[in-house]
Amino acid sequence: MNKRQSWNIVTLFLLLIFGLTAAAVLKPDKSFSENENRALASMPKLSLDSLLSGEFATDYETYLTDQFIFRDGWIGMKTTAERLTFRQEANDIYFAADDYLIEKHTGAFETEQAQTNITYLAAFMEKMSETYDSAHLTAMVVPNAVDILRDKLPPFASPYDEETYLDQIKAALPQGVWFDTSGVLEQHKEEEIYYRTDHHWKTLAAFYVFADWIQEKGLGTASLADYQITAVSDSFRGTVASKVGIETKPDTLEIFEPVNPVSYLLTYNQSDDVRSTVYQRQVLDSKDQYSIYYGGNYGLVEASTEAGTGRRLLIIKDSYAHCFTPFTYQLFDQVDMLDLRYFSQSLSEFMEQKDYTDILFLYNASGFAEDTSLARLNT
Amino acid sequence: MVFSSLLFLFRFLPIVLLLYFLSPRPARNFILLAVSLVFYAWGEPVYVVLMIVSIISTYLGGRAVHYFKEQDRAGAAKISLIVTVGFGLFLLGFFKYTDFLLRTVNQVTGLNITLLNLALPIGISFYTFQTISYVIDVYRGAARVQKNIISYGAYVTMFPQLIAGPIVQYKTIDKQLRHRQETAEQFAEGVNRFMVGLGKKVLLANNAGVLWDTVNAMNVSALPALTAWLGIAAYTFQIYFDFSAYSDMAIGLGKMFGFHFLENFQYPYLSRNVTEFWRRWHISLGTWFREYVYIPLGGNRKGTAMLIRNTMIVWLLTGIWHGADWNFLIWGVYYGILLLVEKLFLSRYLEKLPGWAQHVYCMFVVMLGWYIFVYDQIGGGLGYLAAMFGGAGFLNRETVYLLYNNGVLLLLLIVGSTTLPARLANGLLEKLKERDWCCILLRSVFYVGVFLLSVAYLVDASYNPFLYFRF
Repeated sequence: MNKRQSWNIVTLFLLLIFGLTAAAVLKPDKSFSENENRALASMPKLSLDSLLSGEFATDYETYLTDQFIFRDGWIGMKTTAERLTFRQEANDIYFAADDYLIEKHTGAFETEQAQTNITYLAAFMEKMSETYDSAHLTAMVVPNAVDILRDKLPPFASPYDEETYLDQIKAALPQGVWFDTSGVLEQHKEEEIYYRTDHHWKTLAAFYVFADWIQEKGLGTASLADYQITAVSDSFRGTVASKVGIETKPDTLEIFEPVNPVSYLLTYNQSDDVRSTVYQRQVLDSKDQYSIYYGGNYGLVEASTEAGTGRRLLIIKDSYAHCFTPFTYQLFDQVDMLDLRYFSQSLSEFMEQKDYTDILFLYNASGFAEDTSLARLNT
Repeated sequence: MVFSSLLFLFRFLPIVLLLYFLSPRPARNFILLAVSLVFYAWGEPVYVVLMIVSIISTYLGGRAVHYFKEQDRAGAAKISLIVTVGFGLFLLGFFKYTDFLLRTVNQVTGLNITLLNLALPIGISFYTFQTISYVIDVYRGAARVQKNIISYGAYVTMFPQLIAGPIVQYKTIDKQLRHRQETAEQFAEGVNRFMVGLGKKVLLANNAGVLWDTVNAMNVSALPALTAWLGIAAYTFQIYFDFSAYSDMAIGLGKMFGFHFLENFQYPYLSRNVTEFWRRWHISLGTWFREYVYIPLGGNRKGTAMLIRNTMIVWLLTGIWHGADWNFLIWGVYYGILLLVEKLFLSRYLEKLPGWAQHVYCMFVVMLGWYIFVYDQIGGGLGYLAAMFGGAGFLNRETVYLLYNNGVLLLLLIVGSTTLPARLANGLLEKLKERDWCCILLRSVFYVGVFLLSVAYLVDASYNPFLYFRF
């Protein structure tokens, strides 16, 4: 390199380093990433202890990474580069057929937690089966898109077979409690039953499972014709799209409202937060559009309905239940939706105060395997 | 702190560049020392004290050795040398090997001695070897004594080479510590080298590492041979691109500040035999052992028996230098034996083979070597070795998936292990050397591309390991 070339390269390097540094320093901190739907790290507190333990150093680096300028752009750039080298996945997400982004859930089912959670659920169901017969007691763990939509996966992709894990759960539960959802979902796998950009199932999938479930439990029948289906958004980019960070075709979000609705009242977290509808349309302006159902995750959402059937249902659930639960309002006078992740009371004491006729446990497979609050089932 | 981090690129480095180049020349060694201490203390806030003790003790040792030599008191000089080196080795041994020894004693005797559970101070093996070489060279008259503790401290702690080498011998940069001229040409060469290193680490090594981790996480009882070899190949590439990238970045950063460190890697995977491999791999470590252990022991000059003894001593030490565990020891012995076998008779036969067959031989034993090296991280243990030799079939769907997903990466890794990219780039730049703007444009596109892409991978930092915490 001669002098002129050298000076140019030096200048370029300094511009890169100092330019990006200045931009990163001047950028105001954000506390929340809409795109990733998570809280971003903030500047850690400096103390002698945190400095000496190295904690400050670690936290500061997390802070720097989280708050780095153009964060979403960098993540998109990385994914684009991976796509250009024929990678069929990025950040544990398959680029599947028909614009589907499908989470792989690598390792989720092969942890100790995954096994422990089975024993927690089994113990709980064992205890419940002393009071409830199998017509009133259900455990369903819904397979994820990676399982049902395996035809859409890239050629030769061979993720963990979720059915193996679901079979383990089934085997651990008392007779008649397990409700298989894979079969009915398989039947409808050509329809849009999972979001292309989000980790949830679509309301249509929830409906099929609901119809199957009430038929088996002798609660009646349901037909799609009983519902008015409305597309409330066609700009839904869910959690899975956020993880890959590139432009993808957005999802349509549909809600199913009964043609002959029953009225109901929702009470959130046993407080004076009372709402008259499941659908929180204001969230459609934000990123987290799946929260249209109930407004997101709450420890307890109690619904008292005018179904007049004399039956009362407790649903112990994760967010897969949010689009399922509204269907049950036609059939139960009381439907309480309890999320163990946000519910700190003793479950048995809570259930003693209530007089449920039916219990439904509803999780998605990877969520169930990875959950860290299932010990609360037996409190 | 590591180079391949947002913290280094966008906090540490800009501050250091400003401080260093805005300071008057006499203050620059002090600036280097100060920022290097911060660099080290960032990750090791307590052990920085240990490093300072090491600096002071060897500084004083060097002064004492020099003083007694001036006075013609050879005995006193020798004692000073032994005490200083002994103390350095004691610190290294205490922090690195005590628990390994205690565990071994416990296993052999059935005793239950409580382990110290000391975290290994990062870089201790690198800086201890540097300080020892300095004192020995002063004793041998091969290096000038450094009377300025700031300059000496700057040598030991110099952040470009502090935590992952190369092992810079004092005598090679003595002049530069006393007087050096930073120039735009050198700085630009440093930029070139740093960018190459950054890209090798973040874009190639880390991605190879992801592939290795993917394979390593699989159940070995169902692991087909091709997948197992793909995994080991991925690790083979990861460790080379990672380690040599650190050396590239060290050499590049050194150049920015006016230092010339010796090369540490010379395309080791082009070797045709193990002897050649070790002349091309981690050169500064091999040189160190040759100069300060092998030759003083008598080298190969005293017959075959002594050759065998000396080689095995050096390779036991080389093995254990890489980490206090059995697999490193076995790895060292493995290479010691291979080198002896080659030296004593195998090379005669190897040379008659066609070139490609020699390469195949070399890569085969090197990859087996990496299996031993990384053994303690392999979930499947010996089962993995069984899988490599066909324990569970040849390939399956997953193998095909991994191969076509990583095809471009593997191609880049293979080509990147050869001299081809450097030859192409140099050829092109040579042809265009009269046209400044073409050269500038080419370089700019390359540097900006590598840099931005590396930053993208660092921001989405799912995988960015530091591999040398056991060295």
